Amino acid sequence: MKKGILFTLIGLIILCMLGLGACGGVETEAPAPTEPVAVEPPTDIPVAEEPPTEEPVVEEPAPVLTIWADTLFAPIIEEISRDFTAEYGVEVVVQPMGMDDVREQMKTAAPAGEGPDIIEGPHDWVGTLLEAGVIAPIDLGDKESLLLPAAVQAFTYEGNVYGLGLINENVAMFRNLDIVPEAPTTWDEFLTMADELEAEGVEYRLLLQQGDAYHFFPIQTSFGGYVFGQNPDGSYIPDDVGIDSEGSIAAAVWLDEMVKAGHIKAEIDFDTARALFTEGQAAFYLTGPWNLEFFQETGVNYVISPIPAGTEPAKPFTGVRGLMVNAFSDQLALAQTFLTEFWTTEAAIQQYYEATQKPVTLLSVRETIENPDLAALGEAGLYAMPMPAIPEMSAFWATMGDTITLILQQQADPTEAFQNAAEQMRNLIAEGQ
Amino acid sequence: MIINYLCLAIIDAFALWFVQQTLFDGVWFLAGTITIITVGINIIFLKRDLFPLRWLSPGLALMLLMVIFPLAYTIYTAFTNYSDVHLLTKQQAIRIIEQANYLPEGAVTYKWSAYRNPSGEYILWLTSEDEDNYIARRGDAIQEYQPGTVDVGALDEDGVPISIEDSERLSRVESVQHINELSQLEFGIPPDIIVISTLDKAASFQQKYHYDSDLDIVRDDETGVIYEPIEGTFTSADSGTIRPSYRVPIGWDNFLRLYRSPALQGPLIRVFLWTIAFALLAVLTTFVLGLFLSLIFNDPLLPVQIRKLIRSFLLIPYAIPFFLSVLTWRGMLNPHVGVVNRILETTISASPPWLSDPWWAKGAVLLVNLWLGFPYMMLITTGALQSIPHEIYDAAQVDGANTWNRFWRITLPLLLVSVGPLLVFSFAFNFNNFNVIYLLNNGGPPMPETPSPVGHTDILISYSFRLAFEGGRGGDYGYAAAISIIIFLVLSAITLYQFRFARYWEEVSENV
Repeated sequence: MKKGILFTLIGLIILCMLGLGACGGVETEAPAPTEPVAVEPPTDIPVAEEPPTEEPVVEEPAPVLTIWADTLFAPIIEEISRDFTAEYGVEVVVQPMGMDDVREQMKTAAPAGEGPDIIEGPHDWVGTLLEAGVIAPIDLGDKESLLLPAAVQAFTYEGNVYGLGLINENVAMFRNLDIVPEAPTTWDEFLTMADELEAEGVEYRLLLQQGDAYHFFPIQTSFGGYVFGQNPDGSYIPDDVGIDSEGSIAAAVWLDEMVKAGHIKAEIDFDTARALFTEGQAAFYLTGPWNLEFFQETGVNYVISPIPAGTEPAKPFTGVRGLMVNAFSDQLALAQTFLTEFWTTEAAIQQYYEATQKPVTLLSVRETIENPDLAALGEAGLYAMPMPAIPEMSAFWATMGDTITLILQQQADPTEAFQNAAEQMRNLIAEGQ
Repeated sequence: MIINYLCLAIIDAFALWFVQQTLFDGVWFLAGTITIITVGINIIFLKRDLFPLRWLSPGLALMLLMVIFPLAYTIYTAFTNYSDVHLLTKQQAIRIIEQANYLPEGAVTYKWSAYRNPSGEYILWLTSEDEDNYIARRGDAIQEYQPGTVDVGALDEDGVPISIEDSERLSRVESVQHINELSQLEFGIPPDIIVISTLDKAASFQQKYHYDSDLDIVRDDETGVIYEPIEGTFTSADSGTIRPSYRVPIGWDNFLRLYRSPALQGPLIRVFLWTIAFALLAVLTTFVLGLFLSLIFNDPLLPVQIRKLIRSFLLIPYAIPFFLSVLTWRGMLNPHVGVVNRILETTISASPPWLSDPWWAKGAVLLVNLWLGFPYMMLITTGALQSIPHEIYDAAQVDGANTWNRFWRITLPLLLVSVGPLLVFSFAFNFNNFNVIYLLNNGGPPMPETPSPVGHTDILISYSFRLAFEGGRGGDYGYAAAISIIIFLVLSAITLYQFRFARYWEEVSENV
């Protein structure tokens, strides 16, 4: 054992010597390291010199706003923001990042004073980022009436608005028109159609992404299920977990029946699902607008319709993406002005719609959209509800994905699986407090 | 000599600036480490007796900063409530809390226009909803505008003057450019002050919360409620709280929480056993395959070029970024579109549930890990094989040992002397091999009927990831640190035990 320690020590010493080799060079070239530091005194000198000059018209540097945005949206936001720069002389710098990176980096960078002024992201970040203390409320003022009420509602948390929604998305029932001409309006109709399709030899009747509580949610609500209970004002009650409610369990049982009948299959992930659908092997696919471009490229003959109803209409989650302000920004007022003055103008939002091809939330532009796909998605989202933004949602994501997988893989009884999921969620929420 | 002192002075100045900055942010742990390092460097450079240490000082400083500091910080974090909810330091939290405003009851909101005189001072022209006009200056009472009393310029179509005295009106564009500056200013004299909140709104906003550093409380000026800090949250007597919370030490709470957690009563034993099994099998399979391949390609009968070529090909799995290959494997093992099952179906008409059956999933994880891990074992065993003296084999041949005996009695024991410690390290690595587990199947397939979500292939580290980062309210770093300390203790116990074998092999080698 002693030998081991000795060897470690020797190893460490060798490492240090190596480090010295690198650092030693620096030390002999003593002037080199002084250079960056030497820059510091000069910056002091102008400050000292400035008062004497006392020019009445101070040449101020143009203000700069920085935005962190998802790689998909960053170039679009940057392009459109040039109009703002041209009009107001405020520069806008957009940093493209992976979507989850924006949120995660924001949590560490913002308090350290290194965050952007504005971030782009979905509204369900609000709960976590607000609890963390890194986003600031904004005042929409009279601009509120220009926006889709659901989009404002989505970014509202305990009475304050924390972001400006730009677009909203929800899932819908996509079907291959070459295989199924008619859309089912209820799950009963769907079952009849699925049985016929099976007889015709269609292998995949409905593609449902495995381990995905987001895509299962409209099914859950179509049988009257819910995630968290709501107060009359629409806010969520974390202690009222609805996963083992009658409606949610009915949805679980329905899913189990569909799996047993072979209409829904296990082991379908996002890539598998879109591959099967575009190859024409699948009849129905529960998915959202993020697949539109891919479907158009591959030329699959798809049509969008609302998600069938169970005992009541299906309510998919709607996700609103928009811009939020960093609470640690030194330019809170300017950032907020940028959002309310520029990103509520028809000119900017029209461009945003053209570039993203997503349903924008500015009503005056939204009403002029004549895209049949987006209209159909809008119809499917008629009863959509904003994803709850409370931090307790992370317990829902953590448990429900696995639970749905268990049913898809036929490893658990649906009723017991959902009851157990509710128990897990309550445990997680109780523990997190 | 002078250069030396100069360098030292520069380092000190930089360190001082850095420490001050970090202290300002409330990151005193880092500030402390930097202080220790700087003081250490100063002592070493100023004391003649410590001259030899100078050459070690860069390395020691880096070790302190890169190894000791993170370790100490992890241990410290385990005793705090650092999490997504308790993310900020106290100073940062107070800064955000003091940003909040409120509008006193009955307060009027105004539309505003700003005017600036040549020396850069601002005046506001306010218009209330009742179309009353006011002039607000800094440090002067707000006065209602009566025509003729103040020297204003011509009015525009909205009834707003284009100038007031020597101040020119800011255009809308200029207002946007200066809104940061304007929003920081208070017009009027307390308590009647006007603050700009947005481009269209100014009102007598008051700061809602004030932090009293002497009493360490936050006072709500609107309601008069006092909030006291309790476990990193300002809490009132009737348990109202102010967002955001901040991080504070909470003693052993994280460890107690782990001890009381339903996650412990449930699948932990199964997860623990699978972790050991996975780590052992991962080392065993990769070592056996790696050794087998290196033995084959060590055979002098094969031409050197071919040996080298095939060896380089076999290193490819090692060279591809593992997250790419793991995700590719995930696709290949998919039962619907995966190539593996398509081949198996057409050849032996079998379609194993690689990712959904508990046992097949365990096999799949080991298989993918084998693909990723064997080149490393091949590399180290090839090196070790070539260091075994050839005379021993010649002697064995003279004694009449066959190939089998030569392998078991000479090659393997001598190999294990040099490779043994590496196997122990490999075990420790696979014990915490989060990437393969998480990327391939996310720890799945899920186990039914457990008190907290867990999968059949979850190992301790991926299970604790679920516990700490997919928990009730987002990431919980303090809890994660506490769990990782426990895992570290378990792993070191196992590793120390394994090193006994290393000693045993060394004894064997002395007898060969």
